[in-house]
Amino acid sequence: MRRLCVFWVLLSATVFVSAPAPAQETLKIGAPQPMTGPDAPFGDKFKKAYGMAVEEINAKGGVNGKKIEVIIEDHQAKNQLAATVAEKLITQTKVLVLTGGRASGQAVEIASVAQRLKTPYVVDHPSADIVTAKGFEWVFRDNPTGSIYPQAFNKFISEVPGAMPKSAAVVYDNTVFGKTIANSAMTFLKSKNVPIVNDEAYAVNSLDFKPVMTKVKANSPDFLLLVAVATTDAILLTRHAKEIGVAPRAFVGFGGGFGVEDFAKELGPLSQNVFSSAAWSGNPNDPAVKEFYKKFQTKYGIFPKEHEVEGYSIVYIIADAMRRAHLTGNVEADREAIRQALLKTDMTTVFGKVKFGNWAGPLGDKYTNQNIYSPEHSVLAQWLDGKLLNVWPKANAETGYVFPDPTSKR
Amino acid sequence: METFIQSVVSGVLTGSLYAMIGVGLTVVFGVMRIINLAHGDLVMLGMYGAFWGLTLWRLDPFVSILLWVPLLFLGGMLIYRFLLKAIIPGGELNTLLYTAGLSLLIANLALFVWSGDYRTIKLPYALSPMRPFGIAVPVPLALAFGLAILITAGLSLFLARTDLGRAIRATSQNPEAAALMGVNVDRISMVTFGLGSALAGAAGVLLAPSLYLYPTVGEILIVKCFVIVVLGGLGSVVGAISGGVLLGVVESLGAVYVSVAYKDTIGFALFMLVLLFRPSGLFGVGKS
Repeated sequence: MRRLCVFWVLLSATVFVSAPAPAQETLKIGAPQPMTGPDAPFGDKFKKAYGMAVEEINAKGGVNGKKIEVIIEDHQAKNQLAATVAEKLITQTKVLVLTGGRASGQAVEIASVAQRLKTPYVVDHPSADIVTAKGFEWVFRDNPTGSIYPQAFNKFISEVPGAMPKSAAVVYDNTVFGKTIANSAMTFLKSKNVPIVNDEAYAVNSLDFKPVMTKVKANSPDFLLLVAVATTDAILLTRHAKEIGVAPRAFVGFGGGFGVEDFAKELGPLSQNVFSSAAWSGNPNDPAVKEFYKKFQTKYGIFPKEHEVEGYSIVYIIADAMRRAHLTGNVEADREAIRQALLKTDMTTVFGKVKFGNWAGPLGDKYTNQNIYSPEHSVLAQWLDGKLLNVWPKANAETGYVFPDPTSKR
Repeated sequence: METFIQSVVSGVLTGSLYAMIGVGLTVVFGVMRIINLAHGDLVMLGMYGAFWGLTLWRLDPFVSILLWVPLLFLGGMLIYRFLLKAIIPGGELNTLLYTAGLSLLIANLALFVWSGDYRTIKLPYALSPMRPFGIAVPVPLALAFGLAILITAGLSLFLARTDLGRAIRATSQNPEAAALMGVNVDRISMVTFGLGSALAGAAGVLLAPSLYLYPTVGEILIVKCFVIVVLGGLGSVVGAISGGVLLGVVESLGAVYVSVAYKDTIGFALFMLVLLFRPSGLFGVGKS
C-alpha cells in the first residue's frame, strides 16, 4: 500500500510539472516536434529557431499588440503520436495555427488532422510531396518538396562538363521521404539514359548495410546516390560503403541525415567530399541571411542550417498572416481568417521568397498551397573538412566543388 | 565469387554479435524460465559503458569491457535480488510483463540522463578495414568476433566443467530435482541472471564500435535477439550461437542475392520454416 502511495505521488508530481502555466491572452501557434527519442536533436533545433523568432517579434510589440507563443508538443518521432498531439493542440490548447512536424511521416498525419479540424498547418520542414499534393486547402508549405531536392544535383550533372553519370546505384529508405526523392532522382537519370545499376530500398534503422554495399560494389557504379531520413542510417550507409570499398566518382546524399552536422561529426574524415542535394538554408550570399546566421550563432553558439532557417522563417510567415487577418477572438473564425490571409502571403524571409500557389511538381504531383518559389530553393552542397558548403548552382555557391572524388577507383 | 565470399564473411561477423546477445537471453530463460524483455536495454547499457569509457577516460572499448562485464554481472544480481525475486512465483506471464516494465524504466532513465542524442564511437584504427584477399573485414567487428568466440568458449567451459556451471545446468534441467540434490536454486538463479546481464553488457560493448547508440536502441536489438534464440531453441547455448550466425549469414546473402527490402522478410521466413518443422528450435530441449 505504501508503495502504491509513493507511485501516485510521483505520478501526480509529473502531471503537475508538465501542465502548462496559465498564460495571458497570446496568439498560440502549435508545433508537434520530436523532443525525445531518436529525432530529439531535430526537435531541439526547431525549438531554438522558433524561440528566437518569437522573442524578436514580441520585442517589437508582437502581432497587433498581442504577444505570440509557440507551444511545442513532443511526438517522439512516432506517426500516430503526431496525430494525437496535433489533435490535442487544436482541441484542448486551442492553437490558431499549426507548424512543425519534422519528418514526412508525421507531417502526413498532422495534415489530415488539420484538414479535418479546419486549422491552418503551415509546414516548415517535412518534404514529402504528398503533404501538399492531397488537395488539402488548410495545409501550406514554405520549404521545397522532396521531389525538388534533387534539382540542384540534376543541374550540376547537366551543367558541369563530364559530370553526367555513366551509371548510378540508388539506395534509399522505404519511407515516404526516401521513396519520393529516389523516385525523382531516378526519373531524371532515366530521362538522360543513365543506367540505374542498383535500385535498393531498405527499412529505416537497418543495423547493417554491408550486404547491400557488397551488392553495389559488384556493379561498381559511377555515382552512388543515397537517401536516408534518419541520421543514424546516413552515417552507417556511408561508413559501410567505404568499408566494403565502394568507390564511385561521387557519393551523393539528399538531405535528411546527410544534411546535419552530426553526419560529419560522427564520420570524421569519411564524410569528406560527400555531396548533399536538398533544401537550401537561404542564400548564403545575401547580406540579410548572413546577418541572421551571425545573430543565431551569437545567441545559441551553433551555426544555423536548413532546419533553423526554416523554423525561424515560418514564425515570421505565420505572424505576417496573423497581422493581416482580422482576428476576433473566436478561435474558429480566426483560423479561417488566417487561412485566407496565408493565401495572400507574398513576402521574403531569410529562407527566401514565399507565395503559396497551386502548381505541378517535377513528377507531375498537383500541389496545393505549395510555395511557388520552391524550385529555386534547392542547392547542392558538399562536406568539406567537416563543413557543409554550397557548391551549385553557382549563384548560391560558397566555395568550389571537389569532383570527381579523389578516392574514386574509376 | 568475391561478392559471395564477402557477404558470407560479413554475415558471420555480424551473426557472431547477434549470437552474443542471444546467449545471455537463452541462459536466463533456460534456468529461470524468465523471458527477459529488458535484455536489449542491458545491451544498451553496455554500449553506453563503452562510449563513456572512451569519452571520459580514453579507455578503448576492448579494454573497458573488463570493467563493464563485472559491473553488469553485479547489477544483474542486484536486479534479481531486489526486483525479480519477489515476482517469480507469480508465473511466467507476470515476469514477462515485469521485465517489459523494467525495459521501459531502463530505457527512459537513460533517455533522461543521456538525452535522445545518438552517438557513435570513433576509434582511429577502425576507419579503414583490413582487406585480406580483397575481402573487407572491419577491424572493430573482427576484434569483436574474436572476443565473442573467446567469451562463448569460456562460458561453455564454465557450464561444462565447474561445479557452479553444473549446478546451473542441473537447475535448468529440473529445478526441483536440483534443489533435492542440495543445489541452492535461489542463489543459482541470482548468479544466472548476473551472468545473463554480463553477457548482454559484453555484447553491448563489442557492438558499440560497429553501431551507433541511443537510449532506445534496445528495441531494435531485442526483436533480432528473440528470433535468434527461438530459432536455436530456447534455453540452448549452442542453439543461440548457431541461430545468431545462421541469421547473420541468411540476412547477408538475402540482401545481396534477393533484395535489401526483403532482408528481414527472409530472416523471418527462415524463422517460421524452422519452427514449422522443428517446433522447439534447431537445438531445442523439447519443452517450453
